[in-house]
Amino acid sequence: MKNMLKRIAKRSPWLYRINAGSCNGCDVELATTACIPRFDVERLGCKYCGSPKHADIVLVTGPLTARVKEKVLRLYAEIPDPKVTVAVGICPISGGVFRDSYAIEGPIDRYLPVDVNVPGCPPRPQAIIEGIAEAIEIWATRL
Amino acid sequence: MFSFLKILARNLILGPSTDPFPHGETFTPEGLRGKIRFDASACVGCRMCEHVCAAGAIRIEETADKSGLEFVLWHNSCAFCGLCEHYCQTKAIRLTEDWHMAHRQEEKYGYVEKGVVGYVPCSRCGDPMVPVAPQLMKIAYRETNRDIEKLRDLCPDCRLKQSVGGR
Repeated sequence: MKNMLKRIAKRSPWLYRINAGSCNGCDVELATTACIPRFDVERLGCKYCGSPKHADIVLVTGPLTARVKEKVLRLYAEIPDPKVTVAVGICPISGGVFRDSYAIEGPIDRYLPVDVNVPGCPPRPQAIIEGIAEAIEIWATRL
Repeated sequence: MFSFLKILARNLILGPSTDPFPHGETFTPEGLRGKIRFDASACVGCRMCEHVCAAGAIRIEETADKSGLEFVLWHNSCAFCGLCEHYCQTKAIRLTEDWHMAHRQEEKYGYVEKGVVGYVPCSRCGDPMVPVAPQLMKIAYRETNRDIEKLRDLCPDCRLKQSVGGR
């Protein structure tokens, strides 16, 4: 029974999106990836979910501003293990153009374990899909 | 009332509009700003790219053994604004159309474009200097002749002496 569940779960990881103070550029690309039939991330078995408690793959955008840091960490803790974290855009990876700002708590890998990086400002939908495909591979090994 | 039938028929004829990527090939628009490629043989070490880089992704530093200048660009900080390419006189920096950038966390700090511009000795005094790229000669003199070519392997001080003193 457990094996069967594992086999099924591998094929349908659910996505959850955290905005850690993003400029909305990456969020628009994520929405494009999900909602426009041309890119359609649901072909890979993924589905966006509204609750962090249902999530398997977490997509983080934004450089983790001081104002949202606590909220992001609390939200991240609510996501059940095992989970795969994908950093979308250069802001969560390195701080990007906002690096060394007083309002930035820094690249997210200071606080959260990141698995896949998708650089770009913002990355194009195909690049995001590539990153999610990579995350699904990691997800399959974690189950 | 039956206008949806028209749409249905059209969709049946046109087929799915979904891009086959990642299971198949995808399109790349012309002029897409992707990964950066550095050509060390065209670089003259003016450091303009480092100065204009909005995301601070470019570093140009002298190598540890002082044998040349090392160019390092961290793709995880690059915003693909294209300023470096715009301000690079000799076109040593070019933006390619390669957008395949997703990588694992282990490779995060290794995701760089590197290049070393080795110093060459000045033909008169022997001091190490950044080699003058042929592209720069073309911008400065348009056409070169033997007299101008002689200036190419002189360091700035010797070049000044040569042009002013004529020897």
